[in-house]
Order: sequence, then structure tokens, then C-alpha cells
Amino acid sequence: MMTRKQKTRLKWILAEFFAIALAAFYIYPIFLMVNNSLKPFREVIMDVIALPSRLAVENYVNVVERMNYGALFMNNVIITVVGLLGIIVFSSIAAYTINRTRNRYTRIAHFLIITPMLIPFQTFMITLLKTMNVFGLAGSLVGLGIQYWGFGVPMATFIYANFIQTVPREIDESAFIDGASTLQTFAHVIFPILKPITTTVIVLNVMWIWNDFLLPLLMVNSTERTRTLVLSAYTFVGQFNTQWHYAMTAMVLAVAPSVIFFVLLQKHIVKGVIAGAVKG
Amino acid sequence: MRNSTKSKLEMVLFTLPAIILVTMMIYIPFVSSGYYSLTEWNGISSSATFVGLENFKTILLKSSQFTDVLAFTGKYTVLFMLFSNVLALGLAVLLVQKLKTANFLRGVFFVPYIMSMTIVGFIWKFIFSSGFARLYQLTNWGFFNWSWLGNADLAFYSVVIVGVWQQLGFYMVLYIAGLQAIPGDVLEAATVDGAHSVRRFFSVTLPLLAPSITICLFMSLTNALKMFDIVLALTQGGPGGSTYTATLDIYREAFQHNNFGLGSAKAVVFFFIVLVLTQLVLWISRRQEVDL
Repeated sequence: MMTRKQKTRLKWILAEFFAIALAAFYIYPIFLMVNNSLKPFREVIMDVIALPSRLAVENYVNVVERMNYGALFMNNVIITVVGLLGIIVFSSIAAYTINRTRNRYTRIAHFLIITPMLIPFQTFMITLLKTMNVFGLAGSLVGLGIQYWGFGVPMATFIYANFIQTVPREIDESAFIDGASTLQTFAHVIFPILKPITTTVIVLNVMWIWNDFLLPLLMVNSTERTRTLVLSAYTFVGQFNTQWHYAMTAMVLAVAPSVIFFVLLQKHIVKGVIAGAVKG
Repeated sequence: MRNSTKSKLEMVLFTLPAIILVTMMIYIPFVSSGYYSLTEWNGISSSATFVGLENFKTILLKSSQFTDVLAFTGKYTVLFMLFSNVLALGLAVLLVQKLKTANFLRGVFFVPYIMSMTIVGFIWKFIFSSGFARLYQLTNWGFFNWSWLGNADLAFYSVVIVGVWQQLGFYMVLYIAGLQAIPGDVLEAATVDGAHSVRRFFSVTLPLLAPSITICLFMSLTNALKMFDIVLALTQGGPGGSTYTATLDIYREAFQHNNFGLGSAKAVVFFFIVLVLTQLVLWISRRQEVDL
């Protein structure tokens, strides 16, 4: 006979086992991708499920070279960094101004800035290309980064404005008394207080911009020089759709940065994603 | 007191960049989308011919092509919302238990969400073709041998499976946050002991979870309606155009068929559908919350 205590223990062990089995099943497609990226071509054709007989590191050497991975990675970094900087600077200061000065002008400004959250990007992507050509922002990495300012500002302003509400006005007042200008107060006193919410804004926007597909497809897909990591992987997999070992390697290389980013910053990312959804 | 002209100037100066940016990237293209929906335009020539409501007649009345696409998107949205919310809630309930591996496993289920949707589409294309073929050889189970991407009905379910698989972790995380906000003793009572746990879940936990449910329903609705990348990589809209989502169809109409006027008209119709549906879901959920 099992004691009551033993029974509960067994129940927990079974629950633990069930959860682990479920997660293993769930993640299996990703394992299969990594598994086949490490096999010689012959083994991929023979059996996609078996483990590699030896690690075919040459797949990676080959694909890194063919995709020009280093340059692609830098392209992504440029777009993401340019995008982030503008989104953070313009949203935080707009949100601060809107929150601290309440009048008809700031109400209209607030409305104009956050309303686009209701407009799906796909409903104006056709005319966006024409508009961006007019402004000279299409076809270049920095131009694409700047475009993300417009698309990222509404949500970021919304998130910042919610947070700034909780920052007491007395903090600004004492800085003003010390003779600081509005801009100085914002930059040296308020912005540091916004750090936790800035982390949220960074997490949400990096995840979005780094992996975005449709906007880069419209704006920077015409020359190889300006392609992003995902765009290039998309083209590469299309070209090598019979040579799955190379396609798999390209796919692993395309998602690796996001997965590493997630593993390193898991807590911040999950917290940021929850905050973004709850406030957005 | 602060100089009022100066503070007015600052007020405009600090908000103007944001206003200019959204005007450039969103309002101008959005408004011109409305204009071009009334024209015939190939996207290249500088002048577009004004045709009134002709485009809307074409896509809504003359041909069933776009309404079929909308029906597919609607069907996808319903199944996506259902499965992603039910399964995510189930997972969340499992992973708020005091399991030793709970934290690690939450991370595992979240991984597909941080991956590029295009790559996710490719991974599953490989699974549905090569992976399933090998599994069929090993197990002889019939469903591994079905044409998951080649048959229109099955391709629909394939798209749903992949869509849910990619986003499940996101909704799970939101539900976990919701469950953790419920006082511990209530949750314990609702889940630990045997026969009553199911009823307590439905009559105690679920009502307390209403705010999370609202958020997840809303997010899953908008994400499902905008589905693009996964379909492009997984099926390219095929077989026989059976898996075209609204956004993929708008893209094709404009950038592959060069019918920018027709594409803009589709975009305008799509915009109003999204607007009405999202407001409807918010309105219904809020009413539910108040009732409770």
C-alpha cells in the first residue's frame, strides 16, 4: 500500500514527466531542423529522423560564405539600431510632453500619434512604397530603419504615456527649481526613471524589427546588398529547395540570433511581451 | 513661473517629430490608399484613371475570388482563435503547477514565437513533406501519408496547425500571468483536489481570468486576420489558390498582378472588416467583464 504522501509524490512525478514529454514533442520540429542542418546531404535524403553519423560542420562554413552571413547580420543590426533609437527618443519625449501639459493641442497630438495602432500595416502597404519613394526612404537600410520610427512610435508612445502617469510631477518641479530646462529635466531626471519601460519598448521592437518580413520585402529586397537576414534566408531556401541540408543550415543561421537573444534575456523578454500586450 | 511662450514652443517641438513620422509613414499612405481604391492604376504610370466605385463592384459583386479569400481568412481566424486560446490556457494551467521544470518548459514553449514566421513556415514545409514521409515508413500510420500541403482541405488545417504552433507560447505566457494574479489559495483549491477541480476551474478560475481572456482573444483575432509570412513560406497560397489569406491576396493583386487600384480597394475593404471585428470583440469582452 502506498501512503498518501507517496501517492501525491507519484502524481507530481507523473505531471512532471507529462509536461516534459509534451514540451519535447512540441519543440521536435526545431530539433529536426538543427539535426538535418548538421548532416551530409546523403543522410538527409536517406533518413531525416536519424541523428547525423558525423557533424557536417562544412554545411555551416559553406552557407555562411554563400549567404554572406556577416554582411547580412550587420544589415539587420543597422536597421534595428536605427529603428530603435528613433522610436525611443521620439516616443518618450512625446509621451512626456503629452502627459505633463494637458491642453487641447496635446490631446489632439496624443490622438494623432496613437490612433495608427488601429490601422493594420497591410491596408496601406501598396501606397506606402510610392510614398517612401517620394521621401527617398525606400531601397536603403537607414531609410528602412527610419520607416520603423513611424510604425513603432504609436505603440511606444502609448506604453510610455501609461508609465509616465505614475511618475510624480514633484520630481520635475524640483529639477525646474534647480534651474534645469525642460529638455535637461527630461534627459537627466525623467528618462533614467523610465528605464524599466524602455527595456520593454526595446524588447518588443527588437523582436519585431529583427524578424520583420513584409516591410523589408517591399523596401530593400531589390538588391542583395541591402537584404535582411530573413529575406536572404527566404531567397536562399527558395533556391536550394532540393538541397535541404543547405536550406536547413540557412534557416538555423537565420533564427539563431533571436533564439540566443531570448535565452540570454528570457526574463526581460517575457515580462516585456506581457507588458506590451496588456498595455497595447 | 515658467515662460509660457517658451513652454508652448517646447510642447510643439517635442511632439511634432512623432506627429510628422506617423503622418509620413501611416496617414499619407493610408489616405492615398483610399484615393487609389477609386482608380485604375498599374503602379508605374504617374496618372491613375478615376473609375469611381468600379473596383469595389469588381471585388465584391462580379467575382467571388476576393470573397473566397475573405471566407478563408475568416475560417482560419475562428479556428486559430479557438485552438490557440484553449490549448494555451491548458498549457498555462499545467505550467503554473509547482513543477521543478516549469520555468524551463515555459521557455521551451515560447521559443517558436520569437522565431521568424517565414522560417517557421519553411520548417513545417519540411516536416509535412520529408518528415512525414519518413514517419510513414517507420510507423505505417495513414495520416502521415496524407497530402498535407497538396490537398486544399488538408492544407487549410496545416496552415492552422503551423499558425497555432508558432504563437501558442505567447498566449500561454499571457494566461500564466493572469493565473498568477489570482490569489494562490483560490487557485490551489480549484486545481489540486480531484473530482471538484474541473467544476471549480470553470466557476472560479475562468471568471477571474476574464481580463487575460479579453487580451488573448483580441491579440489572437488581430494576429490571425493579418496572417501573411507563414502562408507565403508554407503553401504560397496553394494548392490552387486555396490558402490565400486577405493580406497575401492584397500583396499579390498589387505587386504581382500590378493592379494597384484593385489591390487598394481590397485593402480598404479589409481595413473596415478588421476595424469592425476588433471593436466587436472588445465590446463583447468588456460587457462580459462588467457582468461578472
